[in-house]
Amino acid sequence: MKWDEFFVTGEPMIYAAMVAIALTSIGIVAGLTYFKKWGYLWREWLTTVDHKRIGVMYIISALLMLFRGGVDALMMRAQTAAPDMKFLDAQHYNEVFTTHGLIMILFMAMPFIFGLMNVVVPLQIGARDVAFPRLNAISFWMFFFGAMLLNLSFVIGGSPDAGWSAYFPLASKEFSPSVGNNYYAIALQISGIGTLMTGINFLVTILRMRAPGLELMRMPMFTWSTLITSVIITFAFPVLTIALLLMTFDRLFDSQFFTMANGGMDMLWANLFWIWGHPEVYIVILPAFGIYSDIISTFSKKNLYGYKSMVVSMLAISLLSFVVWAHHFYTMGQGVMVNGFFSIATMAIAVPTGVKIFNWLFTLRKGRISFTTPMLYAMAFIPIFTIGGLTGVMLAMASADYHYHNTMFLVAHFHYVLIPGAVFAVIAGFHYWFPKVFGFRLNEKLGKLAFWLIVVCFNITFFPLFLLGLKGMTRRMYTYSAETGFGPLNFVSFLGALGLAAGFVVLVYNIYWSIRYSPRETTGDPWDARTLEWATHSPIPPYNFAEIPNVKTRDAFWFSKIDKNLPIFSGKLEPIHLPSNTGKPFVLGLAFFFLGFFLVFSLWTPAIIAGLAVLAIMAAMSFDRDHGIIIPVEEIRATEKKLRGESI
Amino acid sequence: MKLDASLPLEYSTEENSNRILGFWIFLGAEIALFSTLFTVYFVLVNRYASGPSSKELFALAPVLTETFVLLTSSFTIGLAINAMRHNFKKPAMVFMAITLVLGLVFLSVEINEFVTYVHDGATLSTSAFLSSLFVLLGTHGAHVTFGFLWGSMILIQVAREGFTPATANKSFIFSLYWHFLDVVWIFIFSFVYLKGMM
Amino acid sequence: MLKQLFPTRHVVGFLSSLVLTAAALSVVAFDLSFTAQMAILLVTALLQASLQLFLFMHIGENKSKTTLYVNIGYALFVGLVTIFGTLFIFVWGWY
Repeated sequence: MKWDEFFVTGEPMIYAAMVAIALTSIGIVAGLTYFKKWGYLWREWLTTVDHKRIGVMYIISALLMLFRGGVDALMMRAQTAAPDMKFLDAQHYNEVFTTHGLIMILFMAMPFIFGLMNVVVPLQIGARDVAFPRLNAISFWMFFFGAMLLNLSFVIGGSPDAGWSAYFPLASKEFSPSVGNNYYAIALQISGIGTLMTGINFLVTILRMRAPGLELMRMPMFTWSTLITSVIITFAFPVLTIALLLMTFDRLFDSQFFTMANGGMDMLWANLFWIWGHPEVYIVILPAFGIYSDIISTFSKKNLYGYKSMVVSMLAISLLSFVVWAHHFYTMGQGVMVNGFFSIATMAIAVPTGVKIFNWLFTLRKGRISFTTPMLYAMAFIPIFTIGGLTGVMLAMASADYHYHNTMFLVAHFHYVLIPGAVFAVIAGFHYWFPKVFGFRLNEKLGKLAFWLIVVCFNITFFPLFLLGLKGMTRRMYTYSAETGFGPLNFVSFLGALGLAAGFVVLVYNIYWSIRYSPRETTGDPWDARTLEWATHSPIPPYNFAEIPNVKTRDAFWFSKIDKNLPIFSGKLEPIHLPSNTGKPFVLGLAFFFLGFFLVFSLWTPAIIAGLAVLAIMAAMSFDRDHGIIIPVEEIRATEKKLRGESI
Repeated sequence: MKLDASLPLEYSTEENSNRILGFWIFLGAEIALFSTLFTVYFVLVNRYASGPSSKELFALAPVLTETFVLLTSSFTIGLAINAMRHNFKKPAMVFMAITLVLGLVFLSVEINEFVTYVHDGATLSTSAFLSSLFVLLGTHGAHVTFGFLWGSMILIQVAREGFTPATANKSFIFSLYWHFLDVVWIFIFSFVYLKGMM
Repeated sequence: MLKQLFPTRHVVGFLSSLVLTAAALSVVAFDLSFTAQMAILLVTALLQASLQLFLFMHIGENKSKTTLYVNIGYALFVGLVTIFGTLFIFVWGWY
């Protein structure tokens, strides 16, 4: 392989990125060495099995990826802001929209949601950690190294460029001979394994580790949504695993799955991808719905309206999400009966979602509403997401979809469900649970400024795309002529994108400002909230609760505050057993990174060696007999006193 | 770690019980995984291009051998767990070792089957049918191989530590995995080989 | 004492699976209609799978057996939808 196939050359922007990556890496290494923090980093973060730390690492990664995905978006909007722009050529535009989609869905939204799940769910069920802490760490490092592998493609070998959906035959070796789509297949495979592990982990955690008295129908909605999402993950991700395996075989080993000769069936890829892909979008949205339920209930000071129907609707969505996938390719050539079936199933899935919208509205009704930043995002979500949902019903109708398919109308639809749905939810969740983890709130004024910029400019960016789609502008189009008339609306969209970027800058500045200036909380319950995570201190002690709570109702913490006869703590302490840290998950992730890298470049011998390393680390883990540590009662008492601010 | 002496050793602690539940859920995911491979196979089975079709390719003798060997190994791992529950360490280890050896026999017959196909010009690249056949059988075979390595690790641990809650739990979970692979094989035997020879 | 120790379940299960395998072979040994052949294969395979689940894997003895049944049920739902949905799209429902 020539050096200029290995390192991406000839592109000023990419050279700039290489320099930036090199400088940042040197800066990080220098900083850690100067401040003598290598030991700290290894002991406290790289070897942690604590769900709270793992959650924080997921969220930091997601915020960094939000930056990269956002820059991709700005570049796309800049390139299409006027006809015949020469900012990005076709090849680069392809790479940018592919990377944008991959990063935003798989390396921003998913890890952000998993991060919030990790921090919050064990606390909401009154547990000390997840069921399998070491597996949890493995999940994180698999995600991290999968993401690193994909990000590396930008400077080494070239980014994937066949769209985040990598349709064949375009994504085949014949039409995409460079390694970009090898990165796609292998990086997603590695991260996907981590996700599957997370699904299983949270399923067992929620089913088996709830505090005494916390029956399923007493759990907070975020925990319920995590449970159901974990079910979808468990059964949807294996389909992706096989799809990516077959793609890898076609690209690396000349198999004939998705080829156009020798019996191959290129459309089979699209089928398998979307059998996973549709449940995937529900994996992204259901936890968001859970976050909104908790936030709306807390800031209306009311029980969630229609708790049972919220649960049933999520169960219905989880089942229906597996029978609608062909709506992603109505125009692919199957017959009317097929399209008819999937149209009906797709329209049906709007019903349970609608039930949830009404339940949120009824929760708000006659509530004592506090317009905090998280609540603002939740309230903005309801009408804006509804627009996305209604356009989804428009797209669901197969015959109509022949006009909308793969136009900007579709792009607008999914951004109108993903951004108000998933992105606003994780931002709201971030604001809401930030004080729980760090002991101080993000600044409300800055939070509200960012909110208004983001919400208003989101609509300016994406609403024109509906109109452009109806005018005939197809998606993934790197340029257009002036005669098409697409110019003005695209320009408006570009201005909106600049405003969105400003909003996110304010959000990040808020984090910096708050670290420096926000007053520190002492109560652990800054919002006067309802659920168990607020019943312990902020920052949270390593064992979560000094005493496992005992609950008798939903929103047990709230009722323990207002009714003396419903306490959740009895005052009895017992020694606490916590798992030990371990460096093996990190090393395993690293071994997968190298395995992946060598496979991308078809370097078989190094790949085999890396594969053997993976097996060796797994064998070493099998022989691990570390039984963790026991924290004695005196130490718990001392920690609790310190966290309450009393002197020992 | 609280031990519930009324339960078999592999279930006896909360962590053990959780691990067994977690593994059953993982098997659910594996059902989805193999279903996807079967889907691909069923769609591509008649797309044999210029290569051999299933009827031309399959031979009954090696398939019956593989089936008998795997079924017997499922029997022996069941006997191993049974012995474990009665705390008979030596018989349990012997049955487990037999299971692993039978697994190796299965793999050698299957590898020989693959080598024969390739020798006759039926390779991964020949047709979509052959690609899907090799990947379906190969994924199952890779699972058996991984099982062989994993089972060997457990056997070493049982030899060193005897049946503790930890090793009993691992052995039981391994047996679940091994039985599952037999279930998958039953469907391969029926709907790949037998159906392909109909 | 030997009677208690004799692994009846396992022996019965093993012998039954051999019988079921032999029964499945009838589809290649005899000239039957396609429907009959598929029925035989399906029934023998499902019976053998059930044997494994209930007799060998002790699914019924787990304290969370409802969860396990739901788990297997959901897995089969996804598996069958994947298989038959794909065949519907690409084979039976194609123009």
